[in-house]
Amino acid sequence: MTERQGLAAKATSTRDWFGAALVEIAREYDHVVVVNCDLGKATRTLPFKEEFPDRFFECGIAEANAIGVAAGLAQEGFRPFVASFGHFLTGKFLEIFQTVGLNDAGVVLVGTHAGLAIGRDGPTQMGLRDVALMRTLPNVGVFQPADGAEVWQMMAHLATDRRPAYLRLCRQPQPEVHAEGYRFRFGMPHVVREGAGVVVFAMGGTVPVAVEAAGRLAADGITPTVVNVSSLPVDRTAVARLAGTHRRAVVVEDHYVVGGLADELGRIVLSLPDRPRFDVLAVPDYGQAGPPEDLYRRYGLDAAGIAAFVRETAE
Amino acid sequence: MRGEGVVAGRAERADPARIAGLATRCRLVLLEMIHRAGSGHAGSSLSCTDIISVLRFGEMDWSADRSAGDVFVLSKGHAAPAWYAALIVGGDLPAEEIGTLRALDSRLQGHPDRTRLGLVDVSTGALGQGLSVAVGRAVARRLHGRDSTVYCLLGDGECQEGQVWEAFLYAGANRVSGLVAIIDHNDSQSDGAVGDILPLCPLPDKLRAFGWHVAQVDGHDHGELRDALRRREPGRPSAIIAHTRKGRLGPGRVLLDGSHSDLPSAAEYAAAVDYLETLLDTPHD
Repeated sequence: MTERQGLAAKATSTRDWFGAALVEIAREYDHVVVVNCDLGKATRTLPFKEEFPDRFFECGIAEANAIGVAAGLAQEGFRPFVASFGHFLTGKFLEIFQTVGLNDAGVVLVGTHAGLAIGRDGPTQMGLRDVALMRTLPNVGVFQPADGAEVWQMMAHLATDRRPAYLRLCRQPQPEVHAEGYRFRFGMPHVVREGAGVVVFAMGGTVPVAVEAAGRLAADGITPTVVNVSSLPVDRTAVARLAGTHRRAVVVEDHYVVGGLADELGRIVLSLPDRPRFDVLAVPDYGQAGPPEDLYRRYGLDAAGIAAFVRETAE
Repeated sequence: MRGEGVVAGRAERADPARIAGLATRCRLVLLEMIHRAGSGHAGSSLSCTDIISVLRFGEMDWSADRSAGDVFVLSKGHAAPAWYAALIVGGDLPAEEIGTLRALDSRLQGHPDRTRLGLVDVSTGALGQGLSVAVGRAVARRLHGRDSTVYCLLGDGECQEGQVWEAFLYAGANRVSGLVAIIDHNDSQSDGAVGDILPLCPLPDKLRAFGWHVAQVDGHDHGELRDALRRREPGRPSAIIAHTRKGRLGPGRVLLDGSHSDLPSAAEYAAAVDYLETLLDTPHD
């Protein structure tokens, strides 16, 4: 059994999928390199280091320098993946703005531990503002895969593309949500569950949760469509079509309520002549420490919370 | 004025008298740019004009095709007019663009932007970031087996930024060769003297402790700069602490008493131009 088949046999986190896919694309593409910030274990870059020690640059706990070193490597033709917790990496916003963004350096910023899932470590480690920060940079694409199949395809895309990118990854294991034969296309939202009346937009870790919530609502006669928006900026026409064919849109995101997916989709939905009702489930504060399942319950971002919201606010 | 006397063999290129003439012409160009724009950091540009001239007209393997030759990172991006002036005097940019500094849609942005001007190797402006990119380019070239040098020009006030020391630490620990950091040590920053705001001393000792080869020179002496740029230790990054004077026009002559960002008045500008044109007519020693 290959490593890929082994991972596919059970629910696996997107950071685990990333670690496996990184080694595979590095075998194919010599220009793929890794810049590490003393978090190789947590970001799953250590297998890459073992196989390609000459292409692994350890910068220590110094993310600002790591981002600059990665930009320099990119300018010389390499495709660097600089990995850390998303919160720490995107916290170096001024450095990313200038040496990656304004320099148009083809760096892939890999931010793991998206959202509340880091749990007991609390808000100083939680990636809850990362998407907001990265979306202020017009040439930086945001990627957040929902499962292993999508990680694999995004990694192939990122290895051959030369534009700056932010790859947002999750710590928690996730089931596969895509049907066989799914093809990732940058900016294109993808319907993972067909429904009617309500459309739920999710990204990354919230996609399988939204699918589970949709399953729970079936007993109430509510059959939401669930859409995976896995890359930003999102295609406007596709979002308009989805929003235009439903009476309600609900955005579920494991991110601060400002600056993330809801803002992105809201700008499109607001411009529609017959726009649907638009609601957002997201984190409204700094977050706090606690077991992940308790946190998701508290913030209404677990399947029960999403289902309850849709049910209780039904017309 | 463009391109005159720039193409030369290595020995001739390195001739300090020739570099001095080109540096004076750069000063005239950058002052004209700033005067016409009505804004720009004249003092900071003048303090590193000699350093940039020795690099661009002498020591750098320069190619207008920026994928070839050595790399130059202007980490103190507010000295952009000094770099643009060297490009104009060197014939890489047309003199017609002198009047476009800081203008709408200009390639000559207030701080260097490589997405608008390909002759800028790295976009800079917010201080402290250029050396990290220079390190990345040097390690990339080492991995490619490419023999070349990455030059990075920093301000001394800029060395108060923590990221600069992350880069010093990384390059020293990893023995990154093919990397030269030049610190334009004019002891002047926005609010006053570096020694008063937050002293760096003893800077040479600190850099040596970080694993760098360190040299100290008069940053307005083209011969000293040239010799220091050539005297490196293999297997280590090199730092050159260039002692300079902000606003320096020539021997004993300083614009605006070394101010960081003041603009010369019309009269001060005219006097500086007169002085520099006299220098051009005077044989250099």
